Amino acid sequence: MSFLYLVTRNVWSKKARSIGLTFAVAFAVMTVVTLGVTSSGLEQSAAAIISVGSADFTVVQKDVSDTLSSTIDTTELARLQHTPGVASAIGVLVEIQHLNAENPVFIEIGINPADLAGFGVKVVAGSAYAPTAAHEVMLGWRAAANLGLHVGDRFQANGTSNTVTGIYSTGNAFGDAGAMFPLPAIQGYNRVAGIVTLAFVKVSRGASIPAVARRVEYGQPELTTIRTAAQFGRADRDLIYLQAAVNGSTVLAILIGAVIVGNTMLLSLFERTHEFGLMRAVGWTRRRMVALLLGESLLLALIGAALGVALSFAVAGGLSHLPALRGVLHPNFTPDVFWRALYTALGMTLIGALYPTTRAALLSPLKALSYE
Amino acid sequence: MEGQPAIDVKGVTRVFPGGVTALAGLDLEVHYGEMVAITGPSGCGKSTLLNILAAIDTPTSGSVIVAGHDLAHTRDLSGYRRHEVGLVFQLHNLLPQLSALSNVELPMFGSRWSAHQRQTRALELLAEVDLRGCESRLPTELSGGERQRVAIARALANEPKILLADEPTGSLDSASTARFLDLLRQLENRGMTIVMVTHAPDVAAHAHRIVEMRDGAVVKESAPR
Repeated sequence: MSFLYLVTRNVWSKKARSIGLTFAVAFAVMTVVTLGVTSSGLEQSAAAIISVGSADFTVVQKDVSDTLSSTIDTTELARLQHTPGVASAIGVLVEIQHLNAENPVFIEIGINPADLAGFGVKVVAGSAYAPTAAHEVMLGWRAAANLGLHVGDRFQANGTSNTVTGIYSTGNAFGDAGAMFPLPAIQGYNRVAGIVTLAFVKVSRGASIPAVARRVEYGQPELTTIRTAAQFGRADRDLIYLQAAVNGSTVLAILIGAVIVGNTMLLSLFERTHEFGLMRAVGWTRRRMVALLLGESLLLALIGAALGVALSFAVAGGLSHLPALRGVLHPNFTPDVFWRALYTALGMTLIGALYPTTRAALLSPLKALSYE
Repeated sequence: MEGQPAIDVKGVTRVFPGGVTALAGLDLEVHYGEMVAITGPSGCGKSTLLNILAAIDTPTSGSVIVAGHDLAHTRDLSGYRRHEVGLVFQLHNLLPQLSALSNVELPMFGSRWSAHQRQTRALELLAEVDLRGCESRLPTELSGGERQRVAIARALANEPKILLADEPTGSLDSASTARFLDLLRQLENRGMTIVMVTHAPDVAAHAHRIVEMRDGAVVKESAPR
């Protein structure tokens, strides 16, 4: 009989306790992982909105609660365009529309047609709209497919009927599921003349992207630069709050889980007092007792973690199909999520097992043997 | 160790919290290879003495030296319990979730034996107590006598010098008791020191020496054979 066999045998023989503990761990892990993948998915989706195109970095207004609330005026854009190292800076207005139940989050981008090619936007059917056209639109190929529209069809948006002049592709799922309008037209629809949401920046050949980004932030402290999804998460206050809520929930889930694990193990300690006394009487050391009990806890933690991850796949998948989150939430199962599951399970189990394990190890063999 | 008694108890008292005196200045010597039966009325301190010898209880005062270990100064009492003494209780005290084989292997953890060596040794011991073929049975699938023989096999796992048995036949029928005593006789013939607490005069009669206790002290010693 190996030590691992003994651990497994003990776990297996106390089925009710083991199942209870495993589910406590699994639900905590599921909560933590689901929160993690949904917040990460929301961050990715939000970051995707501003990364449409092939810019070296994106510039937005600093300290906004929601990046899409960012406003950059003509003067700021002009200064940005003249920053040393900046080859070009294109102002873009991004708006989110609730098109219909199937498309609750529909992205509309206002951009000058002359800037399309430079930022990786390919017109795959028809042609771009005219720079100042009032009722012309290009649809992303995904949006066109979803809406069943073709070049020449009419697209209803912003209370107007627009002619689809072309279909575009950006290589970005979020961007390809939206529409592009002439910049002045969408500024007019939203009554924000001369304002853009963000600017896509390309640096001059040979220039260092981080150096140019730092220069922009130094020269225009009211702006901030974003190069990665993670930086986007730091720039957007809503996402910062979301991340804080996720972290808080993780700690709470671990603590609640630890209390359940501790309580269950304490009950188990009373049930098994005689057994522990017997083991001490036949020569088991305190250290070996601790190893046995921690081994049992860790085995349950690993099973609970695996079950929790499986449950979180199902729950996150279900959440992404809710009408309010359809198209917005793409659960993002990264390796980091699995580490989070593991440390949640191990954390709560070890915290929960600490007191019962110590108590079991310190039991007097005689008292334990006489325990009924 | 030559010439020293296997067990040397001098002036041992044990007063439990609340003031109950279980042992009152008890003296006892047991020599290597001796089989001693300790008898006496309930509450006279027989089991307390055995618990102290097994190092699962500590005396309030006095000196206890077992197999050369002064228990008051032995730091590794787990090691002592594992290697120097084997314990057999009135109720078999087997772990219900483990097979007979695994129960016998239990004390061998910490003995630096590999899992394979532990298993081989446990198989030998079960064969020795005439339980070949019962290795994979759970305690609930064994009779009372078989369970007590598994308990003996477990007590012998680490080849202890001394076997301590507390009312080992108390829950056995007469046939199982006879078989159990045969087993003790075999161990005694191999030179094992045996200290057995018993209420039953016919069981005590198998010992070299009967030590009678009353009120926490030895009141009479006799040699039935």
